Amino acid sequence: MNNLIITNNPAVAEIKDIVLFVDGSAEETLIKARDLVHEGYELISHPLAASLRMMFSPFRSVILGKKSDKVDIFSVEIIEESIIKFKRHMESRKIDTDNNDDYKMIDLILLEAAIHEQPVTW
Amino acid sequence: MKLEIGRIYIKDIQLGKETSVIDGVLTVDKQGLIDNLKEDGRIKDILIDVARPGEKVRIIPVKDVIEPRVKIQGGNNGFPGVTSKQAQCGEGRTHVLYGAAVVTVGDIVGFQEGVVDMWGEGAKWTPFSKTYNLTVDIQVVAGLDPHTHEETVRIAGLRASEFIGLAGENVTPDEVLTFEIGSMFEETTKYPDLPKVIYAEMNITQGLLHDTYIYGVNQSGILPALLHANEEIDNAVISGNCVAACDKITTYQHQNNSVIYDLYAQHGKEINFLGVIMVPEHTTLAGKVRASDYTVKLAKMLGADGVVVSEEGYGNPDSDLLMICKKCERNGIKTVLITDECAGRDGLSQPLSDTAVEAVAVISGGNVSHVVTLLPADKVIGNAAAIAVLSGGWEGSLLEDGSMMCELNAVIGATSEIGFHNVTCRLY
Repeated sequence: MNNLIITNNPAVAEIKDIVLFVDGSAEETLIKARDLVHEGYELISHPLAASLRMMFSPFRSVILGKKSDKVDIFSVEIIEESIIKFKRHMESRKIDTDNNDDYKMIDLILLEAAIHEQPVTW
Repeated sequence: MKLEIGRIYIKDIQLGKETSVIDGVLTVDKQGLIDNLKEDGRIKDILIDVARPGEKVRIIPVKDVIEPRVKIQGGNNGFPGVTSKQAQCGEGRTHVLYGAAVVTVGDIVGFQEGVVDMWGEGAKWTPFSKTYNLTVDIQVVAGLDPHTHEETVRIAGLRASEFIGLAGENVTPDEVLTFEIGSMFEETTKYPDLPKVIYAEMNITQGLLHDTYIYGVNQSGILPALLHANEEIDNAVISGNCVAACDKITTYQHQNNSVIYDLYAQHGKEINFLGVIMVPEHTTLAGKVRASDYTVKLAKMLGADGVVVSEEGYGNPDSDLLMICKKCERNGIKTVLITDECAGRDGLSQPLSDTAVEAVAVISGGNVSHVVTLLPADKVIGNAAAIAVLSGGWEGSLLEDGSMMCELNAVIGATSEIGFHNVTCRLY
Protein backbone atom coordinates (compact mmCIF):
# COMPACT_ATOMS: atom_id res chain seq x y z
CA MET A 1 0.00 0.00 0.00
CA ASN A 2 1.62 3.21 -1.09
CA ASN A 3 0.63 6.29 0.81
CA LEU A 4 0.88 9.82 -0.45
CA ILE A 5 2.90 12.31 1.55
CA ILE A 6 1.87 15.95 1.34
CA THR A 7 4.82 18.04 2.44
CA ASN A 8 6.56 21.37 2.14
CA ASN A 9 9.69 19.91 3.70
CA PRO A 10 12.48 19.55 1.10
CA ALA A 11 14.21 16.97 3.32
CA VAL A 12 11.15 14.73 2.99
CA ALA A 13 10.70 15.33 -0.73
CA GLU A 14 14.32 14.40 -1.30
CA ILE A 15 14.13 10.88 0.06
CA LYS A 16 10.51 9.77 -0.19
CA ASP A 17 9.00 8.31 -3.35
CA ILE A 18 5.34 9.23 -3.44
CA VAL A 19 5.29 12.87 -2.50
CA LEU A 20 3.18 15.84 -3.40
CA PHE A 21 5.50 18.74 -2.72
CA VAL A 22 3.87 22.01 -1.73
CA ASP A 23 6.06 24.96 -2.55
CA GLY A 24 4.61 27.06 0.22
CA SER A 25 3.93 27.39 3.93
CA ALA A 26 2.90 24.86 6.56
CA GLU A 27 -0.61 26.29 6.39
CA GLU A 28 -0.74 25.86 2.61
CA THR A 29 0.37 22.28 3.12
CA LEU A 30 -2.51 21.64 5.51
CA ILE A 31 -4.92 23.28 3.06
CA LYS A 32 -3.64 21.09 0.22
CA ALA A 33 -4.17 18.04 2.41
CA ARG A 34 -7.68 19.26 3.20
CA ASP A 35 -8.51 19.66 -0.49
CA LEU A 36 -7.39 16.12 -1.16
CA VAL A 37 -9.38 14.79 1.80
CA HIS A 38 -12.44 16.42 0.28
CA GLU A 39 -11.62 14.62 -2.96
CA GLY A 40 -11.83 11.28 -1.16
CA TYR A 41 -8.35 10.70 0.26
CA GLU A 42 -8.21 9.24 3.74
CA LEU A 43 -5.97 10.77 6.42
CA ILE A 44 -3.38 8.35 7.73
CA SER A 45 -1.45 10.68 10.05
CA HIS A 46 -2.90 13.47 12.13
CA PRO A 47 -2.16 16.82 10.44
CA LEU A 48 -0.85 18.46 13.62
CA ALA A 49 2.11 17.55 15.80
CA ALA A 50 1.79 16.73 19.50
CA SER A 51 3.66 19.68 20.91
CA LEU A 52 3.19 23.41 20.81
CA ARG A 53 6.67 24.17 19.62
CA MET A 54 6.18 22.10 16.49
CA MET A 55 3.16 24.27 15.70
CA PHE A 56 5.69 27.04 14.94
CA SER A 57 7.60 24.81 12.54
CA PRO A 58 7.78 26.13 8.99
CA PHE A 59 7.62 22.53 7.73
CA ARG A 60 4.79 20.06 7.88
CA SER A 61 4.19 16.65 6.38
CA VAL A 62 0.89 14.79 6.33
CA ILE A 63 0.31 11.21 5.17
CA LEU A 64 -2.77 10.40 3.10
CA GLY A 65 -4.02 6.92 2.29
CA LYS A 66 -6.01 5.63 -0.59
CA LYS A 67 -8.58 7.63 -2.48
CA SER A 68 -12.12 6.39 -2.55
CA ASP A 69 -15.29 7.60 -4.24
CA LYS A 70 -16.74 8.58 -0.91
CA VAL A 71 -15.40 11.34 1.31
CA ASP A 72 -14.18 10.02 4.65
CA ILE A 73 -16.09 12.12 7.19
CA PHE A 74 -13.73 11.27 10.06
CA SER A 75 -10.76 12.57 8.05
CA VAL A 76 -12.70 15.71 7.10
CA GLU A 77 -13.47 16.51 10.73
CA ILE A 78 -9.87 16.02 11.77
CA ILE A 79 -8.30 18.12 9.01
CA GLU A 80 -10.83 20.95 9.36
CA GLU A 81 -10.38 21.14 13.14
CA SER A 82 -6.63 21.02 12.69
CA ILE A 83 -6.62 23.99 10.34
CA ILE A 84 -8.79 26.03 12.72
CA LYS A 85 -6.44 25.21 15.58
CA PHE A 86 -3.33 25.95 13.53
CA LYS A 87 -4.66 29.33 12.41
CA ARG A 88 -5.66 30.30 15.90
CA HIS A 89 -2.20 29.53 17.17
CA MET A 90 -0.41 31.38 14.46
CA GLU A 91 -2.59 34.51 14.72
CA SER A 92 -0.07 36.21 16.93
CA ARG A 93 3.03 34.14 16.23
CA LYS A 94 5.42 34.21 13.38
CA ILE A 95 6.74 31.01 11.94
CA ASP A 96 10.14 30.30 13.52
CA THR A 97 12.49 30.45 10.55
CA ASP A 98 15.73 30.67 12.56
CA ASN A 99 15.88 26.93 13.08
CA ASN A 100 14.87 25.67 9.66
CA ASP A 101 17.35 22.82 9.49
CA ASP A 102 16.33 21.42 12.86
CA TYR A 103 12.64 21.70 12.04
CA LYS A 104 13.22 19.90 8.72
CA MET A 105 15.03 17.13 10.54
CA ILE A 106 12.42 16.70 13.30
CA ASP A 107 9.54 16.82 10.82
CA LEU A 108 11.23 14.06 8.84
CA ILE A 109 11.95 11.96 11.94
CA LEU A 110 8.38 12.28 13.22
CA LEU A 111 7.10 11.38 9.76
CA GLU A 112 9.27 8.25 9.72
CA ALA A 113 7.92 7.33 13.16
CA ALA A 114 4.36 7.69 11.89
CA ILE A 115 5.13 5.54 8.84
CA HIS A 116 6.56 2.82 11.08
CA GLU A 117 3.82 3.06 13.70
CA GLN A 118 1.67 0.55 11.88
CA PRO A 119 2.11 -0.37 8.24
CA VAL A 120 -1.19 0.05 6.48
CA THR A 121 -1.87 -3.14 4.57
CA TRP A 122 -5.62 -3.12 4.30
CA MET B 1 0.83 -3.57 46.74
CA LYS B 2 2.30 -1.39 49.49
CA LEU B 3 4.80 1.44 49.09
CA GLU B 4 6.27 3.73 51.68
CA ILE B 5 7.72 7.02 50.53
CA GLY B 6 9.97 8.62 53.12
CA ARG B 7 10.43 12.32 52.51
CA ILE B 8 13.69 13.86 53.67
CA TYR B 9 13.15 17.61 53.60
CA ILE B 10 15.92 19.40 51.71
CA LYS B 11 16.53 23.04 52.65
CA ASP B 12 19.64 23.74 50.59
CA ILE B 13 22.10 22.25 48.13
CA GLN B 14 25.85 22.79 48.37
CA LEU B 15 28.62 21.51 46.13
CA GLY B 16 31.44 19.75 47.96
CA LYS B 17 33.66 16.70 48.07
CA GLU B 18 31.19 14.10 49.28
CA THR B 19 27.51 13.45 48.80
CA SER B 20 25.44 13.60 51.97
CA VAL B 21 22.38 15.01 53.67
CA ILE B 22 23.03 16.62 57.04
CA ASP B 23 20.32 18.64 58.78
CA GLY B 24 18.43 19.03 55.54
CA VAL B 25 21.43 20.33 53.60
CA LEU B 26 22.22 18.22 50.56
CA THR B 27 25.89 18.30 49.69
CA VAL B 28 26.85 16.93 46.29
CA ASP B 29 30.29 15.60 45.43
CA LYS B 30 30.62 17.63 42.26
CA GLN B 31 33.69 15.95 40.80
CA GLY B 32 32.43 12.50 41.79
CA LEU B 33 29.19 13.15 39.95
CA ILE B 34 30.99 14.45 36.87
CA ASP B 35 33.32 11.42 36.82
CA ASN B 36 30.37 9.09 37.26
CA LEU B 37 28.40 10.61 34.38
CA LYS B 38 31.46 10.78 32.12
CA GLU B 39 31.78 7.01 32.29
CA ASP B 40 29.37 7.29 29.36
CA GLY B 41 31.79 7.85 26.50
CA ARG B 42 29.19 9.80 24.56
CA ILE B 43 29.46 12.65 27.05
CA LYS B 44 32.14 15.26 26.43
CA ASP B 45 31.48 17.66 29.25
CA ILE B 46 29.28 18.03 32.29
CA LEU B 47 28.67 21.36 33.99
CA ILE B 48 27.17 21.22 37.47
CA ASP B 49 25.58 24.20 39.19
CA VAL B 50 22.95 25.00 41.80
CA ALA B 51 19.88 27.22 41.46
CA ARG B 52 18.00 28.12 44.62
CA PRO B 53 14.52 29.62 45.05
CA GLY B 54 14.69 33.41 44.94
CA GLU B 55 18.03 33.68 43.13
CA LYS B 56 18.02 35.74 39.95
CA VAL B 57 18.91 32.69 37.92
CA ARG B 58 17.40 31.43 34.68
CA ILE B 59 17.82 27.81 33.53
CA ILE B 60 17.39 27.21 29.79
CA PRO B 61 16.81 25.05 27.75
CA VAL B 62 15.56 22.55 30.28
CA LYS B 63 15.44 18.96 29.06
CA ASP B 64 13.93 17.21 32.07
CA VAL B 65 13.48 17.51 35.82
CA ILE B 66 14.01 14.49 38.07
CA GLU B 67 13.52 13.93 41.78
CA PRO B 68 16.52 12.31 43.49
CA ARG B 69 15.57 9.14 45.35
CA VAL B 70 16.95 5.95 46.77
CA LYS B 71 15.32 2.55 47.14
CA ILE B 72 15.64 1.29 50.70
CA GLN B 73 13.67 -1.91 50.49
CA GLY B 74 12.11 -3.90 47.63
CA GLY B 75 12.67 -3.51 43.91
CA ASN B 76 15.88 -2.05 42.56
CA ASN B 77 17.51 1.31 43.07
CA GLY B 78 17.30 3.88 40.28
CA PHE B 79 14.98 3.49 37.33
CA PRO B 80 14.42 -0.24 36.74
CA GLY B 81 14.76 -1.19 33.11
CA VAL B 82 16.74 1.98 32.42
CA THR B 83 19.53 2.67 34.91
CA SER B 84 19.26 -0.63 36.77
CA LYS B 85 18.08 -4.18 36.16
CA GLN B 86 14.39 -4.80 35.76
CA ALA B 87 12.49 -4.98 39.05
CA GLN B 88 8.99 -4.32 40.28
CA CYS B 89 8.35 -0.65 41.13
CA GLY B 90 5.72 0.34 43.67
CA GLU B 91 6.62 -1.97 46.55
CA GLY B 92 8.79 -1.59 49.62
CA ARG B 93 10.30 1.68 50.74
CA THR B 94 11.76 4.62 48.85
CA HIS B 95 13.48 7.68 50.30
CA VAL B 96 13.02 10.97 48.50
CA LEU B 97 15.18 14.08 48.77
CA TYR B 98 12.05 16.16 48.98
CA GLY B 99 12.49 19.73 47.79
CA ALA B 100 15.53 18.90 45.64
CA ALA B 101 15.50 18.36 41.90
CA VAL B 102 17.94 17.46 39.18
CA VAL B 103 17.35 19.77 36.24
CA THR B 104 19.00 18.66 33.02
CA VAL B 105 20.03 21.14 30.39
CA GLY B 106 20.94 20.02 26.93
CA ASP B 107 20.57 21.66 23.57
CA ILE B 108 19.40 18.88 21.28
CA VAL B 109 17.73 21.05 18.66
CA GLY B 110 17.96 24.79 18.11
CA PHE B 111 14.31 25.51 18.77
CA GLN B 112 14.22 23.98 22.22
CA GLU B 113 12.85 26.38 24.81
CA GLY B 114 11.86 25.27 28.30
CA VAL B 115 12.70 27.94 30.83
CA VAL B 116 12.80 27.86 34.63
CA ASP B 117 13.19 31.24 36.36
CA MET B 118 14.02 31.04 40.05
CA TRP B 119 12.74 34.54 40.91
CA GLY B 120 10.25 37.21 39.94
CA GLU B 121 7.43 36.88 37.45
CA GLY B 122 8.83 33.77 35.79
CA ALA B 123 9.03 31.93 39.12
CA LYS B 124 5.31 32.29 39.65
CA TRP B 125 4.56 30.08 36.70
CA THR B 126 6.83 27.08 37.12
CA PRO B 127 6.65 24.62 40.01
CA PHE B 128 10.42 24.14 39.71
CA SER B 129 11.20 27.63 41.01
CA LYS B 130 10.42 26.30 44.47
CA THR B 131 12.77 23.34 44.38
CA TYR B 132 16.49 23.45 45.13
CA ASN B 133 17.82 22.58 41.72
CA LEU B 134 21.03 20.82 40.90
CA THR B 135 21.54 21.66 37.26
CA VAL B 136 23.35 19.20 35.03
CA ASP B 137 24.36 20.63 31.67
CA ILE B 138 25.23 17.74 29.37
CA GLN B 139 27.42 18.35 26.37
CA VAL B 140 27.96 15.40 24.08
CA VAL B 141 30.81 14.40 21.78
CA ALA B 142 30.64 15.52 18.17
CA GLY B 143 28.93 13.39 15.56
CA LEU B 144 26.15 11.80 17.61
CA ASP B 145 22.91 11.30 15.73
CA PRO B 146 19.92 13.12 17.26
CA HIS B 147 18.38 9.97 18.79
CA THR B 148 21.63 9.04 20.51
CA HIS B 149 22.10 12.62 21.66
CA GLU B 150 18.62 12.66 23.24
CA GLU B 151 19.16 9.28 24.88
CA THR B 152 22.52 10.37 26.28
CA VAL B 153 21.03 13.47 27.89
CA ARG B 154 18.00 11.58 29.20
CA ILE B 155 20.03 8.78 30.78
CA ALA B 156 22.58 11.20 32.28
CA GLY B 157 19.80 13.02 34.15
CA LEU B 158 18.43 9.78 35.54
CA ARG B 159 21.89 8.61 36.60
CA ALA B 160 22.61 11.95 38.25
CA SER B 161 19.43 11.69 40.31
CA GLU B 162 20.35 8.14 41.29
CA PHE B 163 23.87 9.22 42.31
CA ILE B 164 22.54 12.05 44.48
CA GLY B 165 19.61 10.07 45.82
CA LEU B 166 22.00 7.65 47.53
CA ALA B 167 22.67 10.41 50.08
CA GLY B 168 19.26 9.64 51.57
CA GLU B 169 19.97 5.98 52.20
CA ASN B 170 20.74 6.20 55.91
CA VAL B 171 18.80 9.32 56.76
CA THR B 172 15.63 9.17 58.85
CA PRO B 173 12.84 10.75 56.81
CA ASP B 174 10.92 13.74 58.14
CA GLU B 175 7.66 12.28 56.89
CA VAL B 176 6.55 8.86 55.64
CA LEU B 177 3.63 8.44 53.22
CA THR B 178 2.05 5.03 52.79
CA PHE B 179 0.40 3.95 49.55
CA GLU B 180 -1.45 0.66 49.70
CA ILE B 181 -4.11 -0.73 47.44
CA GLY B 182 -4.86 -4.45 47.21
CA SER B 183 -6.29 -6.39 44.31
CA MET B 184 -9.36 -4.96 42.64
CA PHE B 185 -11.45 -7.78 44.10
CA GLU B 186 -10.24 -7.05 47.63
CA GLU B 187 -10.84 -3.33 47.32
CA THR B 188 -14.27 -3.79 45.78
CA THR B 189 -15.24 -6.15 48.61
CA LYS B 190 -14.07 -3.53 51.11
CA TYR B 191 -15.86 -0.66 49.39
CA PRO B 192 -18.82 -2.20 47.56
CA ASP B 193 -20.77 1.06 47.41
CA LEU B 194 -18.03 3.37 46.18
CA PRO B 195 -17.78 4.24 42.49
CA LYS B 196 -14.87 2.53 40.77
CA VAL B 197 -12.59 5.08 39.17
CA ILE B 198 -9.64 4.49 36.88
CA TYR B 199 -7.07 7.01 35.72
CA ALA B 200 -6.18 7.08 32.01
CA GLU B 201 -2.93 8.96 31.60
CA MET B 202 -2.14 9.91 28.03
CA ASN B 203 1.54 10.31 27.18
CA ILE B 204 3.29 11.73 24.14
CA THR B 205 4.75 8.82 22.16
CA GLN B 206 5.50 10.04 18.66
CA GLY B 207 9.21 9.91 18.02
CA LEU B 208 12.31 11.92 18.81
CA LEU B 209 11.76 14.52 21.55
CA HIS B 210 8.19 13.22 21.81
CA ASP B 211 8.50 9.93 23.73
CA THR B 212 7.64 8.39 27.10
CA TYR B 213 9.03 5.19 28.61
CA ILE B 214 7.60 2.63 31.06
CA TYR B 215 10.30 0.44 32.64
CA GLY B 216 12.47 1.63 29.78
CA VAL B 217 10.02 0.47 27.12
CA ASN B 218 9.08 3.12 24.61
CA GLN B 219 5.32 3.43 24.87
CA SER B 220 4.94 4.19 21.18
CA GLY B 221 5.17 0.52 20.28
CA ILE B 222 2.82 -0.93 22.88
CA LEU B 223 -0.89 -1.10 23.60
CA PRO B 224 -2.30 0.86 26.55
CA ALA B 225 -0.82 -0.71 29.67
CA LEU B 226 -2.42 -1.17 33.06
CA LEU B 227 -0.29 -0.08 36.03
CA HIS B 228 -0.88 -0.34 39.74
CA ALA B 229 -1.30 3.15 41.19
CA ASN B 230 2.07 2.76 42.99
CA GLU B 231 4.30 2.07 40.02
CA GLU B 232 4.51 5.47 38.36
CA ILE B 233 5.10 7.29 41.65
CA ASP B 234 7.97 4.87 42.25
CA ASN B 235 10.14 5.50 39.16
CA ALA B 236 8.46 3.24 36.58
CA VAL B 237 7.80 6.06 34.11
CA ILE B 238 10.27 8.51 32.58
CA SER B 239 9.93 11.37 30.16
CA GLY B 240 11.76 11.53 26.86
CA ASN B 241 10.10 14.57 25.43
CA CYS B 242 11.18 18.17 25.57
CA VAL B 243 9.55 20.45 23.06
CA ALA B 244 6.27 21.00 24.85
CA ALA B 245 7.64 22.93 27.80
CA CYS B 246 4.41 24.08 29.45
CA ASP B 247 2.54 20.82 29.37
CA LYS B 248 5.30 18.24 29.16
CA ILE B 249 5.09 15.78 32.05
CA THR B 250 8.63 15.81 33.37
CA THR B 251 9.97 12.69 35.05
CA TYR B 252 9.62 14.59 38.36
CA GLN B 253 5.92 15.06 37.66
CA HIS B 254 5.52 11.37 36.83
CA GLN B 255 7.20 10.60 40.17
CA ASN B 256 4.77 12.96 41.91
CA ASN B 257 1.72 12.66 39.66
CA SER B 258 -0.92 14.87 41.28
CA VAL B 259 -3.81 12.93 39.77
CA ILE B 260 -2.57 9.71 41.35
CA TYR B 261 -1.96 11.45 44.69
CA ASP B 262 -5.41 13.04 44.67
CA LEU B 263 -7.24 9.86 43.63
CA TYR B 264 -5.30 7.96 46.31
CA ALA B 265 -6.43 10.50 48.92
CA GLN B 266 -10.06 9.75 48.02
CA HIS B 267 -9.62 5.97 47.86
CA GLY B 268 -11.92 4.29 50.35
CA LYS B 269 -13.69 7.59 51.05
CA GLU B 270 -15.31 8.88 47.90
CA ILE B 271 -14.06 6.41 45.32
CA ASN B 272 -12.50 3.02 44.75
CA PHE B 273 -9.30 3.83 42.83
CA LEU B 274 -8.66 0.97 40.42
CA GLY B 275 -5.30 1.93 38.93
CA VAL B 276 -3.74 3.66 35.97
CA ILE B 277 -4.02 2.97 32.24
CA MET B 278 -1.00 4.39 30.44
CA VAL B 279 -2.29 5.48 27.04
CA PRO B 280 0.12 6.13 24.17
CA GLU B 281 -0.62 9.13 21.98
CA HIS B 282 0.02 7.97 18.43
CA THR B 283 0.52 10.04 15.30
CA THR B 284 -1.67 8.00 13.01
CA LEU B 285 -5.44 8.05 13.17
CA ALA B 286 -5.45 4.25 13.21
CA GLY B 287 -3.20 4.35 16.27
CA LYS B 288 -5.48 6.84 17.97
CA VAL B 289 -8.54 4.72 17.29
CA ARG B 290 -6.76 1.59 18.52
CA ALA B 291 -5.45 3.18 21.73
CA SER B 292 -8.80 4.77 22.60
CA ASP B 293 -10.73 1.55 21.86
CA TYR B 294 -8.30 -0.42 23.97
CA THR B 295 -8.45 2.05 26.87
CA VAL B 296 -12.24 1.93 26.95
CA LYS B 297 -12.15 -1.86 26.74
CA LEU B 298 -9.82 -2.06 29.74
CA ALA B 299 -12.04 0.35 31.70
CA LYS B 300 -15.08 -1.79 30.88
CA MET B 301 -13.34 -5.06 31.78
CA LEU B 302 -12.41 -3.59 35.14
CA GLY B 303 -15.95 -2.39 35.74
CA ALA B 304 -15.01 1.27 35.98
CA ASP B 305 -17.83 3.70 36.67
CA GLY B 306 -15.66 6.70 35.93
CA VAL B 307 -12.40 7.59 34.18
CA VAL B 308 -10.19 10.58 34.82
CA VAL B 309 -8.29 11.28 31.60
CA SER B 310 -5.24 13.54 31.47
CA GLU B 311 -3.62 14.69 28.26
CA GLU B 312 0.01 15.44 27.47
CA GLY B 313 0.89 17.97 24.80
CA TYR B 314 -1.30 19.96 22.49
CA GLY B 315 -2.40 19.55 18.91
CA ASN B 316 -2.98 16.03 17.71
CA PRO B 317 -3.46 14.53 21.23
CA ASP B 318 -6.62 16.62 21.60
CA SER B 319 -8.22 14.13 19.19
CA ASP B 320 -7.25 11.16 21.40
CA LEU B 321 -8.65 12.88 24.47
CA LEU B 322 -12.05 13.34 22.89
CA MET B 323 -12.08 9.85 21.36
CA ILE B 324 -11.59 8.34 24.82
CA CYS B 325 -14.24 10.67 26.25
CA LYS B 326 -16.86 9.92 23.60
CA LYS B 327 -16.33 6.16 23.69
CA CYS B 328 -16.39 5.99 27.50
CA GLU B 329 -19.50 8.11 27.85
CA ARG B 330 -21.30 6.08 25.18
CA ASN B 331 -20.46 2.98 27.20
CA GLY B 332 -21.92 4.47 30.36
CA ILE B 333 -18.58 5.38 31.92
CA LYS B 334 -18.41 8.96 33.15
CA THR B 335 -15.33 10.98 32.25
CA VAL B 336 -13.42 13.91 33.64
CA LEU B 337 -10.89 15.39 31.21
CA ILE B 338 -7.80 17.37 32.14
CA THR B 339 -6.22 19.42 29.37
CA ASP B 340 -4.87 22.91 28.77
CA GLU B 341 -6.13 25.52 26.38
CA CYS B 342 -5.17 28.10 23.83
CA ALA B 343 -7.53 30.94 24.61
CA GLY B 344 -5.52 33.74 22.99
CA ARG B 345 -3.33 36.31 24.70
CA ASP B 346 -6.32 37.95 26.38
CA GLY B 347 -7.85 34.62 27.35
CA LEU B 348 -11.07 35.48 25.51
CA SER B 349 -10.92 33.19 22.47
CA GLN B 350 -12.87 29.97 22.41
CA PRO B 351 -10.37 27.73 24.19
CA LEU B 352 -10.86 24.35 22.55
CA SER B 353 -11.42 23.82 18.87
CA ASP B 354 -12.09 20.10 19.28
CA THR B 355 -15.30 19.68 21.21
CA ALA B 356 -17.82 16.95 21.87
CA VAL B 357 -21.22 16.96 23.51
CA GLU B 358 -20.00 14.11 25.71
CA ALA B 359 -17.24 16.28 27.22
CA VAL B 360 -19.21 17.74 30.10
CA ALA B 361 -16.52 17.72 32.80
CA VAL B 362 -13.33 19.36 31.57
CA ILE B 363 -10.59 20.86 33.71
CA SER B 364 -8.15 23.34 32.24
CA GLY B 365 -4.53 23.44 33.36
CA GLY B 366 -4.15 26.97 32.03
CA ASN B 367 -3.96 29.12 28.93
CA VAL B 368 -0.79 28.32 26.96
CA SER B 369 -0.95 31.67 25.14
CA HIS B 370 -0.99 33.80 28.27
CA VAL B 371 1.85 36.31 28.03
CA VAL B 372 4.35 36.79 30.84
CA THR B 373 7.24 39.24 31.11
CA LEU B 374 10.51 37.73 32.19
CA LEU B 375 13.05 40.14 33.68
CA PRO B 376 16.76 39.95 32.81
CA ALA B 377 18.61 37.35 34.90
CA ASP B 378 21.86 37.92 36.78
CA LYS B 379 22.98 34.47 35.73
CA VAL B 380 21.92 32.08 33.01
CA ILE B 381 22.55 28.36 33.43
CA GLY B 382 22.60 26.52 30.12
CA ASN B 383 22.63 28.20 26.78
CA ALA B 384 21.96 31.95 26.87
CA ALA B 385 21.41 31.87 23.11
CA ALA B 386 18.31 29.75 23.69
CA ILE B 387 16.66 32.79 25.23
CA ALA B 388 16.34 34.20 21.74
CA VAL B 389 14.18 31.20 20.91
CA LEU B 390 11.67 32.32 23.54
CA SER B 391 11.26 35.77 22.08
CA GLY B 392 11.83 34.79 18.48
CA GLY B 393 8.26 34.06 17.59
CA TRP B 394 6.75 37.50 17.41
CA GLU B 395 7.34 41.23 17.09
CA GLY B 396 7.91 43.43 20.10
CA SER B 397 8.62 40.64 22.52
CA LEU B 398 12.09 41.88 23.48
CA LEU B 399 11.78 45.07 25.52
CA GLU B 400 14.33 47.90 25.87
CA ASP B 401 15.30 47.11 29.47
CA GLY B 402 16.28 43.59 28.43
CA SER B 403 13.15 41.98 29.79
CA MET B 404 11.25 39.74 27.49
CA MET B 405 7.68 38.83 26.83
CA CYS B 406 6.93 35.22 26.13
CA GLU B 407 3.95 32.93 26.11
CA LEU B 408 3.44 30.43 28.90
CA ASN B 409 4.12 27.64 26.47
CA ALA B 410 7.84 28.27 26.94
CA VAL B 411 7.77 27.84 30.71
CA ILE B 412 8.38 24.38 32.14
CA GLY B 413 5.29 22.92 33.79
CA ALA B 414 3.29 26.17 33.51
CA THR B 415 0.07 24.56 32.30
CA SER B 416 0.53 21.00 33.53
CA GLU B 417 -2.24 18.70 32.40
CA ILE B 418 -1.80 16.47 35.43
CA GLY B 419 -2.26 19.39 37.80
CA PHE B 420 1.29 19.51 39.12
CA HIS B 421 1.75 23.26 38.83
CA ASN B 422 0.94 26.67 40.20
CA VAL B 423 -2.17 27.89 38.43
CA THR B 424 -5.68 26.99 39.44
CA CYS B 425 -9.08 27.44 37.88
CA ARG B 426 -12.06 29.13 39.44
CA LEU B 427 -15.72 28.90 38.59
CA TYR B 428 -17.37 32.26 37.99
